[in-house]
Amino acid sequence: MRPVQPSAPGPLAQLPLAKNLRDRRFQALAAALLLAVLAIVLPPVPLTRSGVSVLAVVDITGSMNVRDYALDGRPASRLDTAKAALRRLIPELPCGSRLALALFTERRPFLLFTPIEVCAEFAPLDGAIAALDWRMAWEGDSRISAGLHRAVAMAGDLDADLLFLSDGQETPPLPASGLPPFEGKPGAVRGLIVGAGGYALSPIPKYNDRGRETGFYAETDVQQENRFGPPPADAEAREGYNPRNAPFGGAAAKGEEHLSSVREAHLKALAAQTGLAYAHLDGPDALRAPLLAAATPRPLPGRLDLRPFLGAAALALVLAVFLAGAFSARAASFTPSRMS
Amino acid sequence: MLALLSSLGAATPWLLWCLPVALLPLALSVARRNALPSIAAVPEDPLSAGLRIVLTAAGMLAVGGLILALAGPYRAGERVTRTGIGAQVSMLIDRSGSMNETFAGRQPSGAEESKAAASRRILRDFVGERVHDQFAVTAFSTAPMLVVPMTDRHAAVRAAISAIDRPGLDYTNVARGLGMALSQFGPGVPGVSRALLLVSDGAAVIDPRIQAQLRAEFARVRPNLYWLFLRTKGSPSISDKPAGEDTPQAAPERHLDLFFKSLGVPYRAFEAEGAEAVASAVRQIEALERDPIPYTEERPRRDLTGWAYGAAALGLLLLVLAKLAEADLGRRPVQAAPAAERAPEPARDAAPRTAAA
Repeated sequence: MRPVQPSAPGPLAQLPLAKNLRDRRFQALAAALLLAVLAIVLPPVPLTRSGVSVLAVVDITGSMNVRDYALDGRPASRLDTAKAALRRLIPELPCGSRLALALFTERRPFLLFTPIEVCAEFAPLDGAIAALDWRMAWEGDSRISAGLHRAVAMAGDLDADLLFLSDGQETPPLPASGLPPFEGKPGAVRGLIVGAGGYALSPIPKYNDRGRETGFYAETDVQQENRFGPPPADAEAREGYNPRNAPFGGAAAKGEEHLSSVREAHLKALAAQTGLAYAHLDGPDALRAPLLAAATPRPLPGRLDLRPFLGAAALALVLAVFLAGAFSARAASFTPSRMS
Repeated sequence: MLALLSSLGAATPWLLWCLPVALLPLALSVARRNALPSIAAVPEDPLSAGLRIVLTAAGMLAVGGLILALAGPYRAGERVTRTGIGAQVSMLIDRSGSMNETFAGRQPSGAEESKAAASRRILRDFVGERVHDQFAVTAFSTAPMLVVPMTDRHAAVRAAISAIDRPGLDYTNVARGLGMALSQFGPGVPGVSRALLLVSDGAAVIDPRIQAQLRAEFARVRPNLYWLFLRTKGSPSISDKPAGEDTPQAAPERHLDLFFKSLGVPYRAFEAEGAEAVASAVRQIEALERDPIPYTEERPRRDLTGWAYGAAALGLLLLVLAKLAEADLGRRPVQAAPAAERAPEPARDAAPRTAAA
């Protein structure tokens, strides 16, 4: 094609339009322009993300006051660490996820509120978790298995997954017959049991009726053996055993129930019984990954912003155009331009 | 101006470190390079020089605009304090086991509604009726439980109220509950109407030592006190004097009422023996609590990414037009050369000069 006609000397007509249109660099710039314009006009694409709906049940019994964690270089109780972990978990959950909060003490969970959205309602949610205190407990018992079974039922009722934070220390100790039977269907409610506490035995702080700390529990302060129900199989071998008068043996029970460590074996047995997952609470940052792995992903409406992709492609094209000028083969044997 | 600058931000600020890449057009051009025997053969041309500046600027605008757009610029949102009509309401809700019975004192069956379910239904409607009300929820049985701190997020408050018809706990220990409900007001803003709404179906003896503490707290916070007493049919009323000795142990409801009356704060008791009575009591409370309250309104942050893409698109448009109007000196037919020599006058023809420059 002959781009310039001597008979048509107008400035536009002299331009090699067809050649310009075929120029790769022109095409790249035009594509970049198109991408930039698309980035302005294209709406975000709707898509489905996955969030979670969780009922968090926090054990607030006495053994959760054991200080065997460290937060900011200072000793921290299991309850404080569990609270810190929950408070750090909330901003890490995808928006649209929902969280309900319940306390556990005695033998059942106590629901504070039904699931609420974690982003819009962040302030009250965070405030409620920060306010959790062992002083909210209405009774001193800590029948974890009974509490967990009811918590599973409550989570099913709320259509949520369960996040059960506890150290697994049963008070009074479980009877010799072992775990109480689970009446629900194992695995029907998914979720995670989080074991709080260190693996070494630590003393349990003791508080007076005005809530002031007065020392630690001693061996004789707590029930060391559950003597309800039938005696254990080895009772006959105990000293002073008498089938009628001393079916548990003649001596007072000795044990380490006044000290506390995370009872992982018990919690894992409970997890297996109820079909939940188990994770140990290593610190305040450790909750997100095991929870997301254990919880049911729930579809949430989300939006995908296409602009970063379009913009990155446009930028790559423009930079390529500029750099191509520098490295093009034709540029090699050239008069230096005034620009450079 | 400084305030405007400080309110600007970027979603991924580290990308802004790439902004020096936008200086690339100073060194490189998008234009075609052409062989010339000597640069001196081209006459000095102010228009071409101007166009070169414009196209360099366009290149910088395109690259810089795209980098800026990728960083996601925004103008930060702000909180504006305004005044609306509403009150700070601290709800203190009895979660003792008897709340799960009906007003007739039975386990609910069929269409019957427990006291907790009735108060749940009515209080849920109460929350959110007026947008600027702030609520805090405290539950109590043996121990007080902080459920939701003072907040204007009504969805959270309604979620807390949704939970109140779950099985309750043991006892009615109203004194500690009152203490916690009062602490929910916080330091607060002067002039804000504060209301403490106690919803219970019974009362308990308040220890004289705690009475003094509570009196001091009430005198400091000075809330309007409302007691919504969900009375079970046949049980003593607030005003009933017991037949025998008139002690707090014999008639805790009456003595709690007397204690409230002695506090010196505005106080009203509503005795409700059914769901309708509860609803009418809540309506009265709502009508009484009509005072100005400051509230904060969040202005969402404004996304400026579109503007950055617009700037980049403008730069790209100039570059595209320049490329489209680019002359090809290298392949120019010989007979066209005289035409090129008249180039300096027409504006569009200057683009080829830029390319040559």
